[in-house]
Amino acid sequence: MTGSGVVLSLRHLGVELAGRDGHGVAPVLEDLDLEVREGEMTALVGESGSGKTIAALAVMRLLPPGARITGHALFAGEDLLTLDERRMRARRGSVGMVFQNPLSALNPSMTIGRQVAEGHRLHTGANAGAARRHAIELLGEVGIPDPARRLDEFPHQFSGGQRQRVMIAAALACNPKLLIADEPTTGLDPLVARQILDLLARLQRDHRMGLLFITHDLSLVERHAQRLCVLYAGRSVEWGEAPAFFAHPRHPYSHALLAAVPRLGQASLRGIAGTMPDPGHRPPGCRFAPRCPRRQEVCTQGYPPSVGDGRTEAACLFPLEDIPVAAPLAAASPVAAAPGAARTPGSALLQLQSVTIRYGDRGGLPGGRKAVVAPSLDAVSLELARGECLGIVGESGSGKSTLGRAILHMLKYEGRILLDGRALGDLSTGDRRRERRRVQVVFQDPRESLNPRLRIGAIIAEALQLGGQHDRDSLRRQTAALLERVGLNAALAARLPNAISGGQAQRVAVARALAARPDIIVLDEPTSALDVSTQAMLLNLLRDLSRDEHLAYVMISHDIAAIAWLADRIAVLRAGRIVELAPTDQLVNHPRDPYSASLVASAPRLAGAPVTVPGEV
Amino acid sequence: MTRIFWGIGRKLGSAALSLAILITLTFVLVHVAPGSPVYQILGPKASPASIRELNHALGLDLPFWQQYFRWWFDLAHARLGYSYSVQRPVGSLILSYELNTLALQIISLVASLLIAFALGLAHGVHYDRTLGRVIGGLELALYALPSFFSGTLLILFFSMRLGWFPAGGLENLRLAHQTIASNALHMALPCVTIVLLTVPALSRYFAQSVHEELGRDYVRSAAARGASPSRILVHHVIRNAMRPLVTVLGLSLPSIFAGGVVVETVFAYPGLGWLLWRSALAQDYPVLIGIVLVIGILTVLGNLLADIANTLLDPRAAYA
Amino acid sequence: MLDETRSLDATRADLPVRIGASSILARLLRLSGGNATLTTGLVIAALILLASSIGPVLYGRDPFALHTASVLAAPDGRYPFGTDDLGRNAFARLLVAGRSTLYVALPATLVAFTVGTLYGLASGLGPRLLDQALMRLLDAVLALPGLVVLIFFGAIVPLNTGSLILLLGLISWPSLARLVRNETLAQRDRDFVHASRQLGGGLAHIAGTHLLRVMAPVLVVNFTFLVGDMIFALSALSFLGLGVQPPHTSWGGLLQEGLDLVALDAWWLIVPPGLMIFAAMLATSLIGQGLLARGGTR
Repeated sequence: MTGSGVVLSLRHLGVELAGRDGHGVAPVLEDLDLEVREGEMTALVGESGSGKTIAALAVMRLLPPGARITGHALFAGEDLLTLDERRMRARRGSVGMVFQNPLSALNPSMTIGRQVAEGHRLHTGANAGAARRHAIELLGEVGIPDPARRLDEFPHQFSGGQRQRVMIAAALACNPKLLIADEPTTGLDPLVARQILDLLARLQRDHRMGLLFITHDLSLVERHAQRLCVLYAGRSVEWGEAPAFFAHPRHPYSHALLAAVPRLGQASLRGIAGTMPDPGHRPPGCRFAPRCPRRQEVCTQGYPPSVGDGRTEAACLFPLEDIPVAAPLAAASPVAAAPGAARTPGSALLQLQSVTIRYGDRGGLPGGRKAVVAPSLDAVSLELARGECLGIVGESGSGKSTLGRAILHMLKYEGRILLDGRALGDLSTGDRRRERRRVQVVFQDPRESLNPRLRIGAIIAEALQLGGQHDRDSLRRQTAALLERVGLNAALAARLPNAISGGQAQRVAVARALAARPDIIVLDEPTSALDVSTQAMLLNLLRDLSRDEHLAYVMISHDIAAIAWLADRIAVLRAGRIVELAPTDQLVNHPRDPYSASLVASAPRLAGAPVTVPGEV
Repeated sequence: MTRIFWGIGRKLGSAALSLAILITLTFVLVHVAPGSPVYQILGPKASPASIRELNHALGLDLPFWQQYFRWWFDLAHARLGYSYSVQRPVGSLILSYELNTLALQIISLVASLLIAFALGLAHGVHYDRTLGRVIGGLELALYALPSFFSGTLLILFFSMRLGWFPAGGLENLRLAHQTIASNALHMALPCVTIVLLTVPALSRYFAQSVHEELGRDYVRSAAARGASPSRILVHHVIRNAMRPLVTVLGLSLPSIFAGGVVVETVFAYPGLGWLLWRSALAQDYPVLIGIVLVIGILTVLGNLLADIANTLLDPRAAYA
Repeated sequence: MLDETRSLDATRADLPVRIGASSILARLLRLSGGNATLTTGLVIAALILLASSIGPVLYGRDPFALHTASVLAAPDGRYPFGTDDLGRNAFARLLVAGRSTLYVALPATLVAFTVGTLYGLASGLGPRLLDQALMRLLDAVLALPGLVVLIFFGAIVPLNTGSLILLLGLISWPSLARLVRNETLAQRDRDFVHASRQLGGGLAHIAGTHLLRVMAPVLVVNFTFLVGDMIFALSALSFLGLGVQPPHTSWGGLLQEGLDLVALDAWWLIVPPGLMIFAAMLATSLIGQGLLARGGTR
């Protein structure tokens, strides 16, 4: 296996961690085989809880004390897992690591220059001056403008993308042969994520490094990875050469994962029902069997042997033959066209008339509450028809969430927001409350949007009670009906929010919104906190609900592909202004504004779906 | 840099406002106190004429708001009135005791900080291990030990049984016949008592903060760069863990002063706390009010210092 | 609360807990963390409550009777904790002292808890101007050490059970008020609160259904800490002669009498009342810490 050019070779890597309650240990990663070659990118792909980060930390020997690691991690012919602590520390220079969430991964009270130089000083014994010069060089290489000046600044003075560049520079400080990047683009805007990914790919080529790229997002690594490995519930389900994998995934899970990512120009979106089992509660045999459409009795009897052609292999008894991952969209989508056609001027359900929010006005008084820091809005005008879904897309800081909050009257604004032609401010208190209930909301983080100390049943009953219903039997019946309406078992009503999965929690939030019988639901990044397989399920649910209940949505997201899948029209927001507002089909295929074109270009797209860029038309 | 000055300026303003409210509060305290000072001074057998005369002399016949302005005016000129019980100006009386208190408090506070730092660091680093739990238990036990009990025990054991230290009897630190050695002997037990009182909370807080910092992502990324555990502790963790400690130190100044009151009383140590106690028993209002004011001012200043120190320690506070 | 502890312990007993060679030591050390903390605290608290409530009745000796024949007697079979300088039974006095200490400290805690919670909620939920005003006032009040203010008022009001309860209660709330206010500010912008507002929930509904419920673990923990603070404050005040007044006595008062006689080496008049205050404060600390560790709050 250790052919020439292999930088890192994992063999039968396994990790056991202490359980959450502190009793006993549970295997979180088992029997992982993986190779990273010089000058190549290997992607380790899995949803949260699959064990992908644990694998990286195990290689770096950075797991918390109490973790049991088995197997081998060969780096330059040496097993990293058997080195003593001192020699391992010395190796850490030649293996660089970039973490998720660069803000917390950088020391807030140390200048970035010292953090970038730290590795260099430790491993080469360079003096402060030399280390400083080296740090300036590195920061320049990763694309920080004016590095000599910015060296003495602190992490909070950098933007998210720049912080991740700083992290990369710090990892490069000792000319590593291997770079491990753990979800380095999570939480970054798509355009910035793309840039970071391109930077990593370039550095990996220039320095002839091996790159182990850990991610939950298959579409991200499609362009750059040479090989990859898909993890599910602590076991690898499919591995091999990336191009062959994307052309023809063998494992049902790989296939489902690819089909669950919304792509531009895609006609159907399939999620995976069920949730990934937790460590310690994993089924015998194939881990994916309980959620697998091709499951048979034998699947549960032992972990399946691998099958494949040497380019890709999968651990599956019933691998897939050549099935296309997703069908392209038919030329004219009837779904997108219908509501748009029904719209007539003046009959708009919701109207925003030059809504402006300026945050400069909200200076904090001495010792007072911190002013809510949010981007401003500049004279935004919009209309929403009954039953229509309007998508609002933009990067962080574009004001898209501010816009959502203005529609919900959570913020003070200038201009007018009219519901059925009436402004909320003109109504009496009682009417205002009733009108307010017509616009409901589903937030991004399902954990945050449910009171952790109320049972699911009480959360939904609250929504009904505030609507004036108090009969206990009727409340219970309606709660059960609402839970079933969003595809949940009514027995869930007795649980607390932390005893259900994120996808289930988000469905509860939808059920609570439905309980108020709204005309409009504001969806504020409804899928971005969810795993890929769950995202698709929720998007499908939302689409069905809007058709059946004639609900209008305002969907806010940075993920243009997810929005495109649901929305009839899309507004592109940049720095508080709408730069383009067009029917989905038109925006996705023929964007007029250069900024919306770059957003569209950064989104995953189904192969073969055409796009025109302004200037080329 | 200008942001730093802005921040400090805002804190100064806030401290000034606190002081103004404090001065107003003490004015209200004086006027809700039952028993007229005139009665206190002249005794029960005073003639109505002399009462009227003294009322006038003290300004007690003026309207309420005029008395309020007078209160500010007197304070601005450091006039705190006369003590009923010892017939001395309150200002000079407080000053002569205050220095004793400051000496005791500063020595104890420095000792407490050093011990709390070492103990908290060990506790924080070994948080979930045996040593950490032992220190944690010790902190919990010391925290529950009231100072008047520990002080009394110290007197019982070290002064009475062993006779190593005097059990009080100090008149003033600055009297000519007092030597440094004798002062030190007098201050030793009160100091130990205050340290026992102050250390557990500070140490526990610091430990918590060290433990939290050690769990942060930047510690892991420093380790990934090859930094050793001791380097991580010294170069990365301690500075970040100190910041909340400074805040909590500022916030706990009132209780440290309050603790001093009891300790001074136990050891009959001639400080502000002891004076406060004597004046309370003698119902000597002007002295009581004076002490409340002085302690309030000291606390506000202490909080201000802690705030400023924090602004300087945290780069984010300066720029955010 | 007791029920939950029991059920938690039961689940732990079901698990295969492996105990090492030095099991006794390991068990003792476990007392300083985790659930054993809570259990220990509750046991001590229960013992103190029992001793102070029905203890005097069970023991049945007169705490005021003067046994002039045995003045300052060391502990023996007849007087388990000896006698004081007037020949009073120190054990009987310790039991009634506990009763009068708790009679004042517990209601005073309730007063402080109620005032502090309401003040904090009003400040955190009210309009910005109200919050500013309430916080400035709070800062000024917090700049005064509570004990100093207590001594001041102790000197000017007539001291009896009622006035002591009010005095302690009305002076000990500010730090809780600040905590509740900060907690309210931290919770009031959470998404579930916004969702509730969007459903038409008013301020009172949000405070009752959401904020107080979410803050409940923090409030319970701080209530126990407040009980400890109150016992300390009352004991300190009584120790200074400004608390529970004769003929009644309290733990702090007993300790003061012991200190007066320290030259006579009557340790039995110092150690028991001191230990009672220590045990009461330790119990509240342990319960608080145990709840913190169990709930994982903060």
